[in-house]
Amino acid sequence: MSNYFNAPLTRRQCLGLLAKAGSSSAVLGAAGIFGLTNAPVSASPVMLKPLQGKNRKVLILGAGISGLTAAYELERAGYSCKILEASHRIGGRVLTLRHGDFIDELGSPQICPFDDAPNLYFNAGAARIPAHHTGILHYCRTLGIELQLFSNHNKNCYTQDDAAFNGQPVRIREYEADMRGFIGELLAKSATAGATLDQPFDEQDLDKFIQFAQAYGDLDSNFTYRGTDRAGYAAGGVTSPAILKQPRPLPDLLRSDFCTGAMHFAEIADQAPALMTPSGGMDSIVKAFLRQLTTPIQLHCQVSNIQLQPHGVAVTYLKQGESYTEQADYCLNCIPAQLVSGIENNLPADYVAIMRQLGRGKLTKIGLQAKQRFWEQEDIYSGISWTKQDITQIWYPHHDAFKAKGILLGAYSWEPQISDRFAAMTHQQRLATAIAQGTKVHANYAQHIENGVSVCWQRMNHMLGCGAVWTEELQKTGFKLLQAPAGNHYLIGDQLSLHPGWQEGAVRSAWHALADIERREALRSTGAGA
Amino acid sequence: MNKIWLFFMLLSSAALADSKQPDAQYCLVCHGSAAQGNAAIKAPNLSILPDWYLRQQFVAFRNNWRGGAADDAHGKEMQAVANTMNNAEIEQAIAFIRRQAPVELSADLSGQADLQQGQKLYQQCQACHGANGEGNAQLHAPPLAGQHNWYLVQQLSAFKNGWRGSQSNDSYGQMMRQFAQSLPNDQAIADVVAYIDSLPLPNR
Ligand SMILES: Cc1cc2nc3c(=O)[nH]c(=O)nc-3n(C[C@H](O)[C@H](O)[C@H](O)COP(=O)(O)OP(=O)(O)OC[C@H]3O[C@@H](n4cnc5c(N)ncnc54)[C@H](O)[C@@H]3O)c2cc1C
Repeated sequence: MSNYFNAPLTRRQCLGLLAKAGSSSAVLGAAGIFGLTNAPVSASPVMLKPLQGKNRKVLILGAGISGLTAAYELERAGYSCKILEASHRIGGRVLTLRHGDFIDELGSPQICPFDDAPNLYFNAGAARIPAHHTGILHYCRTLGIELQLFSNHNKNCYTQDDAAFNGQPVRIREYEADMRGFIGELLAKSATAGATLDQPFDEQDLDKFIQFAQAYGDLDSNFTYRGTDRAGYAAGGVTSPAILKQPRPLPDLLRSDFCTGAMHFAEIADQAPALMTPSGGMDSIVKAFLRQLTTPIQLHCQVSNIQLQPHGVAVTYLKQGESYTEQADYCLNCIPAQLVSGIENNLPADYVAIMRQLGRGKLTKIGLQAKQRFWEQEDIYSGISWTKQDITQIWYPHHDAFKAKGILLGAYSWEPQISDRFAAMTHQQRLATAIAQGTKVHANYAQHIENGVSVCWQRMNHMLGCGAVWTEELQKTGFKLLQAPAGNHYLIGDQLSLHPGWQEGAVRSAWHALADIERREALRSTGAGA
Repeated sequence: MNKIWLFFMLLSSAALADSKQPDAQYCLVCHGSAAQGNAAIKAPNLSILPDWYLRQQFVAFRNNWRGGAADDAHGKEMQAVANTMNNAEIEQAIAFIRRQAPVELSADLSGQADLQQGQKLYQQCQACHGANGEGNAQLHAPPLAGQHNWYLVQQLSAFKNGWRGSQSNDSYGQMMRQFAQSLPNDQAIADVVAYIDSLPLPNR
């Protein structure tokens, strides 16, 4: 028996502990807001048939990704579109902050204080794109958007938990190597009891399984874990002999919640490597749409009334206190449902009732400008450190290594209670909190940070949440209803996808509505005589 | 120093251009396009509230009489906004709300409430809030008729659990808290709110 199993802990107890760890998925469960449960299957892009001389007017409410997608596809097919957007900017929750940008958080307006430099930007909303999000990637490809690799999982980053290792940060590399070593040893040594497995399991299978366990944990020839170079060397290893790090005892590892949650974050289909992100900021996607679009986009136009009519939709909006009304054949609406519920309308009552039941996601991101790229001195280039404190994560830039300065993500939380706590603070208090908590991960954090931005999405003007939170029950009873058009009005946006919180959901919701419009147009043509 | 000034100058001009237009249209983002309130945001119907009451509530938010409790996330939303507004902006907002016609909400009869019991309970409310829930400016009691029932329930609970009316210099809040505490349970709250909900919208 290796000394790895500390004396007082029997293997049975270990197994019990493991089972306990396995059933606790608090962090992953909370991450459900990202739509982790099912990876979307790819779809072929919509290609609307040209209208061929027919006149069709479409009003698009909200210049989010879904609204831009709809405008782009519709105008190519000959529909005349107009986008009405309430805020001072285009892009909605695709928000890349740079020097001088106005952050329109209700109760906490800010001007982005970053230095004016191309590498100093912060994706305060959407930040990463997995490879199976073929809808948004379709536009990245066809609109010529340059992509970079983005890393969610970097073994050189840290995990920090006050309950473990005296609160000291530990490299993810070390933590994972030890944890795998332990699991491997446990597997290899208990595999001979393969009788417990349900399926037929012959000698060959057993042999292969033990080899797997050995490789998984990097065990020695006795199937014992004695540390591994996967954890990095304590010393040497290049021109002098390597000295392995001493494995940490299992009970110490288990004191950290890393193993029951964040350690598996990058196993989630939408979060797994390799991820991508546009060079220069996520808003490259917005800019690329804008390069193509001829559809007018009217800013500062706050929609205030939506009226279904027998053959179209009338939309009233407020611009600088004045109200204007426009008519259209169709209306595609990506205004967040929680705000549509406050806009006067004659939409069906059951339709509005569902909007009122959707929860408002509460996400907070803090971006910090660092004078020095101190993380590079700690062999960190991109990736995420995790801590059990409210800031939850620290992200290191995946781009522009060795530049003078850099923008860190200093906090990212999607836990409603945590986001409430950040929202209740002033901007300065949020920064101070981010710096104080970050200091537990990087001892001299404070001396590197110059300034920062904080964005609580549940407080952002014209947003008041991200994204729609569907309960399982509501999804069953209400999703289909809200996804279907009400008259000639379509609610779109990631809120109308089973993938809220992802641009993919926004794109695909637009495609879904466009396909329906095309179907109705075809019916209108064939039924012209009726 | 220069940098700091530049920061504030930029901030005020940009803020003016956006969430803080002098026409106070921004109120409608949360409170609904006719100031009628929005259940999804838990924002009350402002269109039925008189100027003096709106002004009084700005004071309450700024004095931490409302929105001060740690768990009062909705109160804190309004408090954060109130704290960024100066007196002139508050008056502009009130004037803007005044221009919105009172929105009559249809009574929600879906709940399991006892209207008769609610009417009985309302007797102690009417001394201040009026027999028709029309409010009383002299007594600083707001109109209740026409307000969303979920909002009334939320506020009665807030008074009861001390989120409102527990600060020493908030005398009107303290008075209301005593009455709220006399409602024994959630059913009593539901009953009295159902009765208020059945009252027609009085003239403002
Ligand atoms: C913190 C955070 C992290 C995220 N991370 C990722 C990620 O890594 N990858 C990813 O793919 N996605 C991510 N997302 C999700 C992504 O940003 C959204 O899915 C997408 O941007 C939503 O687009 P949408 O079309 O649904 O509309 P939105 O972006 O919600 O746009 C709605 C628009 O409506 C406008 N509007 C509101 N009220 C009115 C009115 N009354 N009149 C007119 N206009 C109005 C708003 O101003 C806004 O422009 C993230 C989001 C957040 C907030």
